[in-house]
Amino acid sequence: MFSELVKVNGYLVQAFSICRRQVWLLARGVTAEQSNESLALGRLVDQNSYARERHQVGFGDNKFDFVQGADGELVVCEVKKSSRAERSARLQLAHYLYDLQKAGIEARGVLMFPTEKKRVEVELTDALKAELDCVYAEIESLAQRNVPPPAEHCKYCGKCAYAEYCWG
Amino acid sequence: MGKTLYLLSSGSLKRKDNTLFVERVGEKPRFLPVETTDEIMVMGELDLNKSLLEFLTQKQIILHFFNYHGYYAGTYYPREHMNSGAVILAQAAHYTDEARRHKLASTLIVGAIENMRKVVAYYQRRASLDVEDILSDLERFEAMAPQSGSVPALMGIEGNARNRYYQFFDRLVQDEAFKMVERTRRPPSNRMNALISFLNSMCYILALSQIYRTHLDPRIGFLHETNFRRFSLNLDLAEIFKPILVDRLIFSLVNRREIQEKHFEKETGGGIYLNDRGREIVLRAWETRVNETIEHPRLKRNVSYRGLMRMEAYKIQKHILDDTPYDPFVSRW
Ligand code: SF4
Repeated sequence: MFSELVKVNGYLVQAFSICRRQVWLLARGVTAEQSNESLALGRLVDQNSYARERHQVGFGDNKFDFVQGADGELVVCEVKKSSRAERSARLQLAHYLYDLQKAGIEARGVLMFPTEKKRVEVELTDALKAELDCVYAEIESLAQRNVPPPAEHCKYCGKCAYAEYCWG
Repeated sequence: MGKTLYLLSSGSLKRKDNTLFVERVGEKPRFLPVETTDEIMVMGELDLNKSLLEFLTQKQIILHFFNYHGYYAGTYYPREHMNSGAVILAQAAHYTDEARRHKLASTLIVGAIENMRKVVAYYQRRASLDVEDILSDLERFEAMAPQSGSVPALMGIEGNARNRYYQFFDRLVQDEAFKMVERTRRPPSNRMNALISFLNSMCYILALSQIYRTHLDPRIGFLHETNFRRFSLNLDLAEIFKPILVDRLIFSLVNRREIQEKHFEKETGGGIYLNDRGREIVLRAWETRVNETIEHPRLKRNVSYRGLMRMEAYKIQKHILDDTPYDPFVSRW
């Protein structure tokens, strides 16, 4: 029944390391209530930090937070409101770098956590690329499933925009 | 969560830059917060223009209109902002599959009757009423629902259960001025009927506004027949909440004498309606009621009744997506 081809983007990659159910919901276009408090906070941090240098750049099916270029070097930055989900944020950024590389563009990545005044460098290693290839394959097969994976309580549920949806 | 705005008196509503601006006779004009407003209830006369409607669409704010008597007239339901082909397909497929539609419709009725029983049982304890006969009939209707052969048969059961349930109203309410005798709709023939009609429509609207927050199409109901010209899914959803929200509110308004004979008016057509003052009292009580919170056992968070309605809509969405089977909300009291 589901013929639309899923476009793997940064959101899906990030969701993948948080919760499989969320991947399915996102892939089907089932979005969460936007007035969830933590989402609203995310948007606020996004709008007010680094106001001077920030650009939203669309590339393929991704949207980068901003791209800095000093000395001809390309730097993709991803702004997050906390380092709670740092691992997933790394994967998301690596995915951007990978997509750019496939198009012949080499870039460096930096994760930024303005509320914690923290920066983390991300480099696209072979190991990260291999991990991403697996992630893509799994996202595709997840999205093809007719039924979403059942909700399972995890540490992200409490702050997840889908909480009302999953636990109602 | 966003707020509901009630415009009870006449005036005009405009867009001014990025805000809403309301002007009313005898009142100071004021700006309305657009980011925290979900819906606007228009009771009085209102001047508005297309640029306002475009702005409301952009901000995803719904407008509900009522006529002079407080009767629901219609809704400006902005273009869907939540689009999911998967959900619409599933909803339509669920509607056309007779067996699956019947299953969901009967679950809705079972939930509705269970909530009626909760209300009756609550007052049986509190006011030591003799209502065993009504309770056992309701139980019988509830058991019949899943066994019925078709959706029209289900509607029949629902109608019978509700008629029986309404008999309980006159046993509970002692005030002669608020006897219902029988349920009449267009027009309501007495005060109790007027109260029920008015608040039921508030319940339908609440459901509609919450459905707007989901990917469901409000025109495809399961219990109430779909004809694509009207909203019907919100009627389904409201069945679950009417006993808990509407009926209990009526009992408390009447028993505490917050609503009295003087709050009604007779119209030339023979109907009885709430007057301006009465409507205001009822709406205030309604707004307080739907914002009341209860602790949600699974979400482990306090949720308002308004939020519960939204979650109920999510549950229907999950049901049709074959995610989690629908299990209606049943009041604990
Ligand atoms: S609430 Fe929990 S189970 Fe549901 S999508 Fe979010 S993380 Fe996954």
